[in-house]
Amino acid sequence: MALFFHYLSLPYLLEGIEVTLQVTALGLIGGLMMGVILASMQLSRFAVLAGFARGYSIIFRGTPLILQMVFVYDALPHIGIKLPAILAGGVALAANEAPFISEILRAGVLGVDRGQVLAGQALGMTPGVLMSRIIAPQAIRAMIPAFGAEAVSALKNSSLASVIAVQELTLRSTQLASSTFDFFSIFFASGLIYLCLTGAIAIIQLVVEAWLDLDRASSQKRLLRLLPWYRSQPDGEPIEVAEGGIVDAGVAELPPSRPKLELVDHAKRAEMLRRNNIAVGVEGLRKRYHKQIVLDGVEMTVRIGEVVALLGPSGSGKSTLLRCINHLEGWEDGSIRVGGRRLGFADSGRKLSPRELANERAEVGVGMVFQQFNLFGHLTAKENIAGPLRWVHGWSRIDADRRAFELLERVGLGQRADALPRHLSGGQQQRVAIARAIAPNPSVLLLDEPTSALDPELVNEVLEVIRRLAIEDGLTMIISTHQLRFAEEVADRVVLLSGGTIVEEGPAREVLTRPRTTVAQRFLSAMAEE
Amino acid sequence: MRKRLFIEELMRRLSAAGSRGAVFAAIVIAGLCAPVVAKAAPSGCAALAEKYPDWKGKTLVNAINPHTPGYEAIDPKDPNKYVGFDIDLGEEIGECLGFKVTYKAVTFAALLTTLASGQADIVISDIYATEERAKAADFITYSKVFDGVLVAKGNPKGIHGIDLTLCGAAAAENTGFVEVPLVQDMAPKCKEAGKPEPTLQLYDNNANCIQAILAGRADTYVNDVNTVDNAVKANPDKLEKAVAVTIPYSVGIAVPKDKPKFEEAVMAVMIEIYKSGDQLALLKKWELDPNNLKEPGLLTVK
Repeated sequence: MALFFHYLSLPYLLEGIEVTLQVTALGLIGGLMMGVILASMQLSRFAVLAGFARGYSIIFRGTPLILQMVFVYDALPHIGIKLPAILAGGVALAANEAPFISEILRAGVLGVDRGQVLAGQALGMTPGVLMSRIIAPQAIRAMIPAFGAEAVSALKNSSLASVIAVQELTLRSTQLASSTFDFFSIFFASGLIYLCLTGAIAIIQLVVEAWLDLDRASSQKRLLRLLPWYRSQPDGEPIEVAEGGIVDAGVAELPPSRPKLELVDHAKRAEMLRRNNIAVGVEGLRKRYHKQIVLDGVEMTVRIGEVVALLGPSGSGKSTLLRCINHLEGWEDGSIRVGGRRLGFADSGRKLSPRELANERAEVGVGMVFQQFNLFGHLTAKENIAGPLRWVHGWSRIDADRRAFELLERVGLGQRADALPRHLSGGQQQRVAIARAIAPNPSVLLLDEPTSALDPELVNEVLEVIRRLAIEDGLTMIISTHQLRFAEEVADRVVLLSGGTIVEEGPAREVLTRPRTTVAQRFLSAMAEE
Repeated sequence: MRKRLFIEELMRRLSAAGSRGAVFAAIVIAGLCAPVVAKAAPSGCAALAEKYPDWKGKTLVNAINPHTPGYEAIDPKDPNKYVGFDIDLGEEIGECLGFKVTYKAVTFAALLTTLASGQADIVISDIYATEERAKAADFITYSKVFDGVLVAKGNPKGIHGIDLTLCGAAAAENTGFVEVPLVQDMAPKCKEAGKPEPTLQLYDNNANCIQAILAGRADTYVNDVNTVDNAVKANPDKLEKAVAVTIPYSVGIAVPKDKPKFEEAVMAVMIEIYKSGDQLALLKKWELDPNNLKEPGLLTVK
């Protein structure tokens, strides 16, 4: 036991820790840098880069680290690269860690909800902004445990550098054992040292995890609540539906609507709209997923201020059409113009890069609301709205916050500005999403089945918000929906899609009450039965 | 190297002691350094240093497998130093030609690879000069080889060397040791004699081989007799030396094949050290068998 403590405190071994940490740090930092490169190559649009990265991964993940160490140390000098031992060990460890770290990064990035990525694109975020503001913050949170494990593994793997004369802890332990014959005392001592080091990594991991925990903010608030001057702001679970199940619980949160316009004279309004400029023009749009034809020659014109309801059975191409209008998806044939601009193509006809496309989307101003809300999970309700204004449109923090609060008030969520999406009900989330979409004053708002994912009692609050946008703001909207009554009430025009083509279109009331085609009749009667 | 480390260590203590201790420490350094410096190189060295001036003031790397107490191992009292017969020999060669020696600790099997890759300049690490190894490096031989047979106390398996008594036994060896093929060669002979073949366990260093016997995994470890003696000395109630056997090799200093000038210089210095009696003195200093003494020779293979 005395020997054990003697070796535990022996400067010779303690100095070995330093070398062990140096090799580990080189391996992890180098591995992280190479891992980032490998992961971005694998995630890139270019097949050659992805292939190269995959090849590297196969080789360096598939061969033992001990061979790689010997290779860097003994083989590279033959081509004139003679690295000092510690550096050679660090380089070999980095080369070996890179593919593992790359896979962690890739899993983290791919693990971020695809819907949020779509929402970010729809908001006009460039790939860079999307990565740094939306994907990375969430991916990093998810990757911390894996990184902790990888760091521990790298630390232990650094012991293999003992084969190439790196004077780290393991090599020192074996040499000491050879000269003193105190085999077990020495190895127990160095084992304990390794345990302390890996334990330290585990603690760092836990601290970082706790630090990045999104709910930490609310636990801070819990403490704040103890302060006498703290004004409570509900942020816990969604507000419960009051006794008796009032169906418009969410509607009650909305501010009183402005004096309602007199009953709209539909004929007059239609006449007025007809004179307006074209907001969205779709010509001969064709799109396939592999062999399946999704859109088959769609022609559609939407004028400024018009509200168009897209109806049609599931799989009729409604969502795809909306995504094409925002160029979230490409298409084979046809063209789409928004505000007179041909989306996705430069004046010369060249296809735009993702970055240019994002900028164009932000400029032209096409807002989008998704069925699954797609709020950014790591941002509060306020930040979901204010963030994109700052990152995409370059607003100042003050202006963006003011706009966010104003819109949250309008959708009845002024009190929940600091709540995370996961603490909001579906209806509340969709209202935030609508506020987010209209924040930069888009010229067109696309709503993709905005109430389909909601529980029935939450549908009304969302419809009410949309209704007000249409009537009070005169916003140009294309809504795909199954809510016939809503469509009749709000839409100027109904477009009925089936099998990728428009089977009927016309003034909302007319199509919905007196459908001409049999497809429309069958669809509407089926919908009415539900 | 040892002297430098020694001084460095003192300097470290000196700075730790602070300015008040500085004067005292300086006196201590002056006092302690004197005897170290006093150990003179053989008288012929001056002429050799003049004849071979290329390495004067340089620092050369000696690749060693420091798991052989007596030859090369870290100093248990100060683990920052390497000590042993080979270490002293290398230092003396350096002293003679005016270069300093630093050390690179590698596995035994990696000694010659390290030399070939240029990561080391010389290998003085109790390595037996064999024809096979001489394909990778030239050897300046300097010591006869006697192997000892290390067994558990009481020699329960009755092993007496690399002969038929080894049949059916488990032998621990270091990867890359010359004993490895010798043990392997016993397999057909044992079979012929109607006995079970010996099994071979390969380890990375002496300590692991010795542990294999202590743990009851291996029955014997055949290696340099001095290594075996040291193992017995460390575990007198668990191990014993069965017998010493002669092995038809010499121990050699490995030098790169592509540096004939360096080889020539080292050879000349070794002859000087042998003639001056320093080599015998070193054997005695490290309590090695004086019978190991051998006039330097050269082993090269094209």
